[in-house]
Amino acid sequence: MNKPRLLTLTLTLAIASTLTAQNHRPIAFTNARIVTISGDTIERGTLVVRHGKIEAIGADVAAPAGARIIDATGKTIMPGLVSASSRAGLVTQSNTPRPPRARGGRRFFTRTTRSSRGAENKAATKVIDGLYPRQKVFGQLLDVGITSLALTPQGNAFPGTGAILAPDGKTLTELTANDAAFVQITMARGSATKKLLKDNFAKAKKIVEERKKPKEQPKAAPKPDKAAPAAAPPAAEEVKEPPKPTPTPTPTPKPTPTPTPKPTPTPAKEPPKPAAGKPAAAQPKAPAAKKDPNLELLADLLEGKQRAILAIGSGTDLLHWNDAVDAEIEFPRTIVVAGHDPFSGTVDQVVDELGKLDCTVLLPATMTTKPRSRNLIHPAKILHDAGIEIGFLIGDNPAAARLLFFRLMELVRYGLPTKVALEGITLVPAKALGIDKKVGTLDVGKDANLIVFSGEPLSPQGEIDSVWIRGRAVDRQP
Amino acid sequence: MRIHLLLTVAIACASALELPSQGRGRRGARQRPPTPPPAPAPAETETDKEPEQHVAIIGGDVYLGTGQRLSGATVLIGDDKILEVGHNLTLPEGTTKIDAKGKVVSPGFVCVSGSGMGAARSAPFKDGANPYDPSIKQGLAAGITSFMTGSAGSSKTVSGSNAIAKLAYGDLDGMVLRENTVAGISVPLSLAEFAKLEETIEKARKYLAELEEFPKKKAADAKAKEPRMPPGADKIVDVLRGKVALWVSLRSGGFNPFRMRGGGPTKSDVDAIRQALAISELFGKGVVLQKPVCAWLIPDEIAATGSMVVLSPRDRTPPDPKDPDRTGSNLASAAILAAAGVPIAVTCPTGRFGGGGVGTGGILGQDLNTPHVDAAYAVRGGLDNRKALRSLTLDAARMLGADARIGSLEPGKDADVLILDGDPLHYATFVETALVNGKVVYQKAEEPLYSHIKR
Repeated sequence: MNKPRLLTLTLTLAIASTLTAQNHRPIAFTNARIVTISGDTIERGTLVVRHGKIEAIGADVAAPAGARIIDATGKTIMPGLVSASSRAGLVTQSNTPRPPRARGGRRFFTRTTRSSRGAENKAATKVIDGLYPRQKVFGQLLDVGITSLALTPQGNAFPGTGAILAPDGKTLTELTANDAAFVQITMARGSATKKLLKDNFAKAKKIVEERKKPKEQPKAAPKPDKAAPAAAPPAAEEVKEPPKPTPTPTPTPKPTPTPTPKPTPTPAKEPPKPAAGKPAAAQPKAPAAKKDPNLELLADLLEGKQRAILAIGSGTDLLHWNDAVDAEIEFPRTIVVAGHDPFSGTVDQVVDELGKLDCTVLLPATMTTKPRSRNLIHPAKILHDAGIEIGFLIGDNPAAARLLFFRLMELVRYGLPTKVALEGITLVPAKALGIDKKVGTLDVGKDANLIVFSGEPLSPQGEIDSVWIRGRAVDRQP
Repeated sequence: MRIHLLLTVAIACASALELPSQGRGRRGARQRPPTPPPAPAPAETETDKEPEQHVAIIGGDVYLGTGQRLSGATVLIGDDKILEVGHNLTLPEGTTKIDAKGKVVSPGFVCVSGSGMGAARSAPFKDGANPYDPSIKQGLAAGITSFMTGSAGSSKTVSGSNAIAKLAYGDLDGMVLRENTVAGISVPLSLAEFAKLEETIEKARKYLAELEEFPKKKAADAKAKEPRMPPGADKIVDVLRGKVALWVSLRSGGFNPFRMRGGGPTKSDVDAIRQALAISELFGKGVVLQKPVCAWLIPDEIAATGSMVVLSPRDRTPPDPKDPDRTGSNLASAAILAAAGVPIAVTCPTGRFGGGGVGTGGILGQDLNTPHVDAAYAVRGGLDNRKALRSLTLDAARMLGADARIGSLEPGKDADVLILDGDPLHYATFVETALVNGKVVYQKAEEPLYSHIKR
């Protein structure tokens, strides 16, 4: 009985070790045409992958000993796609506003971009909290080559903090690459949103000024330290509910029902509070309660510690953004144009304003028309010609994502350079999300997220042969 | 009754002889301050600052909008304002020249009520404006450069939330000329409602008087309290101060389904108009009567109060056989009112399918697509051409209390100019070029709307 057991154990160990060895075994794609995005395209070269990273890349790179060699003759390798705006895996929640719908009656041609209803500052609410893992959609998106995914909160003004997903994950932890990657700001035409934006940025500016003040009191010093993780915590500390109770360790915070984060408690209001709780305990707690994590996050944004994605629906929205938010307010941002809306101005009509804002613009990979006509316009080319860095939105619909390369072909056919088209689905969105150190191009040290095409990507002959995420082949669905 | 009416006419005529002719209709006999709803003080932006850009529209037949017409004249625009109109102007260096030889130049049409065209539906109007709305182009193609959006207010108390919207395509800041330019009330009021109004006006007057005294009081007694606005009187105070114009909407009875079908007997609204004039007397200034049916029956009473009338010449109502002397209206209404000296503004027959917009959902042109044709109907009813054009421009601007800014081509006013390919009131005339705030915002040849129509 003893011997067989030992044998089994040894066998198991042996198998396990060979398996891990196989995992560690490098993969070499040889004789491939490699579109690196960062540099020139290598017409015939080798790409070596080890431990999920790109180990070597070049025309005269030799496959390392013991490597699994994949002959990619006639094939093209490009980096995996980065989808900068996605709702995959988020089941429609009741609190998300319904998409604008044309009212019945006489409104034949009017189309509003987005209503201003429900504007609220929920900047610190994490979108990842609404994620349902193990959904078919992730596999479908991987199939079409999307290897990085930004999860976007939905709503007006400050709907929450976006996350970055690795779509090959099975559990929530595996899926989540970064749960607080960017602050989403959604612009809607209307006084409610504009006022909210104006007010909250003004408050955040004040917080920034306060933070800049030298901290002399030992009491004051720990507060911002505590608040900083509250604002942009690396781990998922917060719950789905509006994060009013600060996640500081104190377990007995009275449910302090004062949502207004106004400082300087007036002496008139002070007496009832100690009556409710312990005066000694309430005092150190009170300042902590005043910190609004939403505003703290905006302050981080203004200090450049966080980045933002500003979603607009049309040219009109951009004019309203400029009108609502002071031009002096600067923060790292990328503008996402949700759609081409000829009824509220396509983005090419506000190209001057976009140029002044000096930031990357992500837009749908489609042409559009002038209102009420069939005259095609090419917003992507117009923006590119004006010197604005552009990228493209891919979307969540796998069927539509399959058409992405076809759409890009159309854009290239109407004058957009191929390089810009390919950068726009890889490097540019990666930079916008701040993950360009890891993904977006084929460079040594980056994640081996690859799409292998059976031909030139932007040609009718090009078809996705296989998708690799961190060195592992994706099981493609039939 | 008749005697009273004759007397009023006689007095009105007599006093009109004494007044200097202003070309704006005769004033009433009663000692009332002249009506023109007080336009805002000349805009603060209009300083001695040198304009940066000049545009000159050269050689056209220029209708000033005041009734005057200059042949082969030049309109010089500096930035967003009109600098000069006349012959042989010296143009500054770098002026953009627009040739208008053989063309007609006219002020942009002012539409007293409209909807769509990029304007928001509710206050604050700027925050909801859509400067890239394609229907702006359609409005410009119709010659409209500004219109009132929102509601004039038609409750039993003075109310209203509205703005003068401009068709400044692509310019968010230029989209709203002014908010809350008009306050409105609906008649007939019951005796109690009228008494309440009278009382509130009295309180408002008292408040204004106290407010005027206040600085003196304050100087004498540092503890003096500032007078408080009587409740519900803010709009009335605005009207008394001359900040907003008062509009009166008339309801001659309940909802009448027959009128929806383009005719049928209605109750006379003469009594309602008389009540509106009584309100005008309470305020001591003229009001704007919104689409009265039978105003043409008592034009001199209306003229005597300095009131004005918004009407749609095409709204013809057959007289009620039971009351034929006091009901009905026809094409000549506008002409009869104008002859008595009542300024009129022309709109399309709203409230039917076309509504107050420029969409193509209207039927038979009953929308804002052809304001000049609406005025032409008034001409057909006997109105003279100049007054008909004024009904679309300066007189309409007066009713919105914005005649210091828009409505005519006079130095200092907003450069809202149309270049037309024919007589402004001819049905076959098209707008070739439209400028709003000094910028070219519409060119027929460039837009897909009417570019295919060539002559």
